This record gives sequence, structure tokens and C-alpha cells, in this order.
Amino acid sequence: MRAERLFRALGLVDPALVEEALETRRRAVPWRRWGALAACLALAIGFGWLVTGGFGGYGGGMPGGADSGSSGGDSAGTATPLDPGGSGGSGVEEGITFMSYAGPVMPLTTAETAAGLTAERTVTWDFAPGAYSDGEPRQWGAAVTDAYVLRNSTGEDVTVTALYPFAGSFYDLSVTGLPEVTVDGEAAETALYPGSGSGGYQSASGLNVPYYTADLERLDSWEEYKLMLEDGRYRDWALGEAPALDLPVTVYEFSDFAAPHEKWPAATQSISFRIDPEKTRIFTYGIEGCGRDGTAFCYSYFVPDGVRRSSDLKLLVVLGEDIGAYTLQGYQDGGCDRGEEIDGVSCTVTRSETTLDAVLDRLCPHFKEMYVDEWALGLGESFDVLSSALFRRTAGELLYQYSLCPGAPVDHYIEGRLDDVLGDVLSQERVIYLSFPVVVPAGGSAEVRCACWKLPSFDYGCSETENVGLQGYDLATRLGSGLTFTSQRAVLDHAENVEVTQQNFGFDLEKGITAVDLDLEQEYYYMAIRVKDP
Amino acid sequence: MEDGQIIELYWNRDQRAIGETDGKYGKLLHGIAWNVLRSREDSEECVNDTYLRAWEAIPPTRPGVFRVWLGQITRNLSLDRWKSRRAEKRGGGAEVLLGELEDCLPAPAGRAVEDGELAELLNVFLRRLSREGRAMFLRRYWYGESVAEVAEALGCGEGKVKSSLFRSRKALREYLEKEGIAV
Repeated sequence: MRAERLFRALGLVDPALVEEALETRRRAVPWRRWGALAACLALAIGFGWLVTGGFGGYGGGMPGGADSGSSGGDSAGTATPLDPGGSGGSGVEEGITFMSYAGPVMPLTTAETAAGLTAERTVTWDFAPGAYSDGEPRQWGAAVTDAYVLRNSTGEDVTVTALYPFAGSFYDLSVTGLPEVTVDGEAAETALYPGSGSGGYQSASGLNVPYYTADLERLDSWEEYKLMLEDGRYRDWALGEAPALDLPVTVYEFSDFAAPHEKWPAATQSISFRIDPEKTRIFTYGIEGCGRDGTAFCYSYFVPDGVRRSSDLKLLVVLGEDIGAYTLQGYQDGGCDRGEEIDGVSCTVTRSETTLDAVLDRLCPHFKEMYVDEWALGLGESFDVLSSALFRRTAGELLYQYSLCPGAPVDHYIEGRLDDVLGDVLSQERVIYLSFPVVVPAGGSAEVRCACWKLPSFDYGCSETENVGLQGYDLATRLGSGLTFTSQRAVLDHAENVEVTQQNFGFDLEKGITAVDLDLEQEYYYMAIRVKDP
Repeated sequence: MEDGQIIELYWNRDQRAIGETDGKYGKLLHGIAWNVLRSREDSEECVNDTYLRAWEAIPPTRPGVFRVWLGQITRNLSLDRWKSRRAEKRGGGAEVLLGELEDCLPAPAGRAVEDGELAELLNVFLRRLSREGRAMFLRRYWYGESVAEVAEALGCGEGKVKSSLFRSRKALREYLEKEGIAV
């Protein structure tokens, strides 16, 4: 029984994590954890998930897509995914609702107004089985080629900066790789412009934020992509200048750690102080614990012992009014409970004044070196596609979107852990633009081909919905594109390997219709396929 | 008595080690066993067996985090007992726990891995969860606590716990599939 094996394997996970799970409970007793803010977050997450998470999916505006996600209140809504009868079924006839949504194939656009240019588009899904690392052929995903013929009806050459948008996280890209772009058969030199990640923290910063991000918890449906991209602000933000985070901060750095680990394997160092949350905001790096009781704040970390994975760089970053006097105390473990104080825990605290930008400049390489290179936390390949400079930029953007003003409402990263922020840079779903130049000669044309491996939307195997085993693929015909399309065509290749179970394209595999012309007035097409047994 | 002192009792073959262990961690271990078995008699036996295993293992073992080490033994013993009882009658907490963990299982076509490697991958996955999400997941699937117990412990609503657990199970499945792992 596979679940039993997973249960037993969970028994072998890092004891520090297992301990931490209990400590979280113990911490809740002496320290009221973020009180009303946390409650607000729970509400926000719960509601956001109900409306947009898990059951967003296909069929924009269709009854199935909307109804299945919004039924009932909190308990009913959260129970729905676990209820075999309640998930996905209502959406099948009118559209398709998948638990994991991969995002649509989106159309090419240009940075400039492409006057005089028209475009013919052909999108091909190739369902030839892929070969996996274990050598077993398995069809999971499709090779998608999004091809364009750009025609120039003017008497002069037209040079444009083409932008090809695609959906995914940097982590996803470590699996699928970047789209490969050719212009007139030659590999194009591309530049990467990541858009902001999705998240529910729009306009929280109180700064004059000229950015756009989806006011959504997750990008789980076509409608969310549409909302995010259709007015062009998301793209403008992706292509624009990185925000400056030259806000002055005070940094407390902890070093020269010592603790009686022989006796207290989970020995913990705490730092306690009082602040006015309206005037001070705290960020941390390498610090695992935090708690709050009114204006009293307590941050803590397991004292590095050379065995437990723990960042050697530990910072408390103070934005706004400085923390003033603080108290250091050693504890038996991360609970930091009264009565469990111990001697022999010590560190050196170094105070310095700098800017948030400088802090990120320091943390980004450290995060990559520690989490990715040294600990190999499954994120390493992300940096195959993401340069250190882009990582730094994207981290800055994410922090910029986040609430940076003391006293401003916070609905994300409540504990202020910069480790979480940097991790999210890699795992957040976003739209990424590949930029490359295209010259379309006077009276002539240029061919652009964007080829990528597209992962499918799907339902989880044991959810017992009728979508289990289906792979969902969808297409946006004009979302976010300034090009004037004269035709669009959809093609299935190696269609003999699959059956199309739901769609609005018009394919008819039994009759051999594997290529269809699309209605340019229709902004969205979808299909679900099932791989045939070999 | 501190863990180190209790472990010293085991090393010295001092039978007070069992009593000290029971006094300090008996309630925790009974809770874990109960969550899996839902039977007082079976839970009692599993916890007693845990002490026996500890007695046999120390020395030479010197557990790092004693209560987690004990909890691991209790979990495994409880699951074994649940399996043997299952042939007689269905039920018990494990039925529900394993049913939920089914959600996390990747497609079976992936690469087979040893338990140690799988646990290491689970460590990676767990560290990528938020601290609260991780606590919810481990309280539910390591300690076997009910959703209501997790909610009470973390001071939040059951709906939030259910939602978090669902998303974590979904994320774990995605993660294991991305890693190409068979379970």
C-alpha cells in the first residue's frame, strides 16, 4: 500500500521539523501570535482559495467554472475537494475545471505598436510520448510550437521587439526549460523579463506603487490570467525598471554562536524587545521563530550546531524606528517557554545601518549558495534559467509589492521572513516574457517560432473526480497582444496517441480532423485529452 | 528528568528509564498510538512495545531528539498493529490518515527510491512549506492529530486547517511528480 509507505517515510523526516511542529503549539501559549492580523490572513486565504483556488479552471464565465468553486461557506468549500462527488463534475459539460491549472498558451505581442504588421498564427500540440529519466516513455505534457508569420504591408522595413509570454514558475522552468525561439529559422537571442508573481498583497505597501499584480491568491484559472494581462500593466511592470529599495534599515547580525548542545540539542537563542508596530517593521533571515504579545516581540533561532541545517547568516532587519534595548536569552528548545531558560547560549550581535537594497544584495547570493547549492533543496535547476541578477531583481520586486511601511496592513509574510520571500521568487507562478528582435522586411514577412514543453492542467490521482487522468490544455487567442491577427489555426500532432474528451476547438480525431481554423472573435479555447493505452 | 539523563539510565541498564520515559512522554506516545489505532488496549500495547524497543536499542543507540525518536517507533508499531487488526475489522485512525495521504501519491510510473531518499525529499518539501503549513501537515500526518486538534493547537479554524492540508497534499503530489518519484 503506497500511502502506508508514505506514512512510514514521513516518520523518517528531520526530527527538527517534527519538533518544530509541536513547538508551534507550545509557542502559542505564552505568545499571542499576531492576533487579529493572523485571523485576517486566515480569512483572506480561506476566501481566496474558495473563489480562485483549486476550482478555478477552464470555461471562462461558464457555470461550471464558477459554481464549483464558490459553493457554500468555509467548511463546505474546503471540504469540497475532499468530496468525490463535489469536485469538478459540475464543470465538465460547460468547460473543464482542474485542480492544478497550468495556464494557457498565450499569443506573441510586441513592445512597440506594430503598425503595418499582421500576423498569422499556428499553434501545434505534439503528443508524441516523452522519454523520462528512468527511460520509460510516458506522455505527460505536450511539445507546443507557437508559430507566426508576420507580414509587413508597408514600404519600409519594420523592426519590433517581440515579446513571447508564457506561464510558470522558475522552478517549473527548471523542468521544462525556456521556450526556444527562432526567427526565420535562426535561433533568436532572447532576454528574460519575469512578471510579478501572483499574490494577495496588492497595494499594501502604502508606497506609490506603479506596479500591477493580480489581486489573487493563486493563478488557478484562465479568468485570472485574463484579469492580470488584459490591460497591459503587468507587462509594462515586467519590462520596466527595477524598483529601488533604498529604504534605510538597521541590521542586527548574529554570529559567534555557542550553546551547550550536548545537553540541549535544540538549544535556542532568543532576542526580545518592544516596538511600536505602527513605527517599526521587522524582517528576518535565518531566524526560525517569532512571536508577539502586544508590543513585545520575541525572535529566536536554533543555535547552529554544525549538524542541523541552519543558516549561518542570521539577520534581524529593522525598518522604521529602531528597536532600542533588547534582551538575549537562551532556552532549552524553540518553545522559548518560561522556566526553560538555560545558561551557556551566547552570540555576538553586530548593529549596522544600511539600506534594504544592500540587504538584498547580500542575501540573494547567500540564499542561492545555502539553500540551492549547499543544501540542494531541489531548487538548483531554477538557476539554470534564472541569472543571479534576475533573481535579485525579482526578489526586490516581490518585497516591493509587499507591505514595506510600518503600520501598513500586512496580509502576506506576516512573520517577515526574507527566507520565505526569496524562496517564493523561485516557486511563485508568474507570466514570463521572452524578448527578441524581429525585422520584417518591407512588403515581406518573417517567421517566428516559439517551441516549449507545456505541462498540463490536471486533477490529483486520488481526488476521484472524473477528470483524473485527463490532461488539460488551453489557448488564448489575443490576450495581451497588440498584433493584428488575420488567422489562427490549432493543430494536433501525434493525435493517434490520445483521445480528446472535451474541447471547444472543433477537432474530430475519428474523422481525421486534427487541424482547425479558429474564430478570431473567440478569445479562449480549451481541450482535455486522455492518453490511450499503448 | 532531562532527556540526556533518561538516556543515561538506559545506558546504565537502569529500569527506572522506562518509568521516566513514560512519565515524560507517555501521554504524547499514547496520543500518537490512539490517533492511528482508536483503541485504548492496542494503544497501550504499542506504547509498552515502544519502551521495550527503546530498552533494546539503547545502547548502542543514543537518540538525538528523544521524543521524536520514540514517536517514530510508536508510529511504526501502531501502523503494524493497525494492519494486523485491519484484517479483522476495518476502522481506526489510520484508515482516514492513509486515505488522505493517497492524495499525495504521484503517478506510479516514477523512479523507485529507498526510504531514506524519500524521507530526504520529504524534508525538502516540508521546508518549502510555511512554518504554519508545515506544522499543520506534520501534526496531522506525523502525530496523527485530528483536524480539530490541529486547529485548536494552532489557534485557528478547522476550515483553515482543512484548506491548508488539502493544498499541502496537492503540492506534495506535484512535487513528487516533478521529481519523478514513485512511492
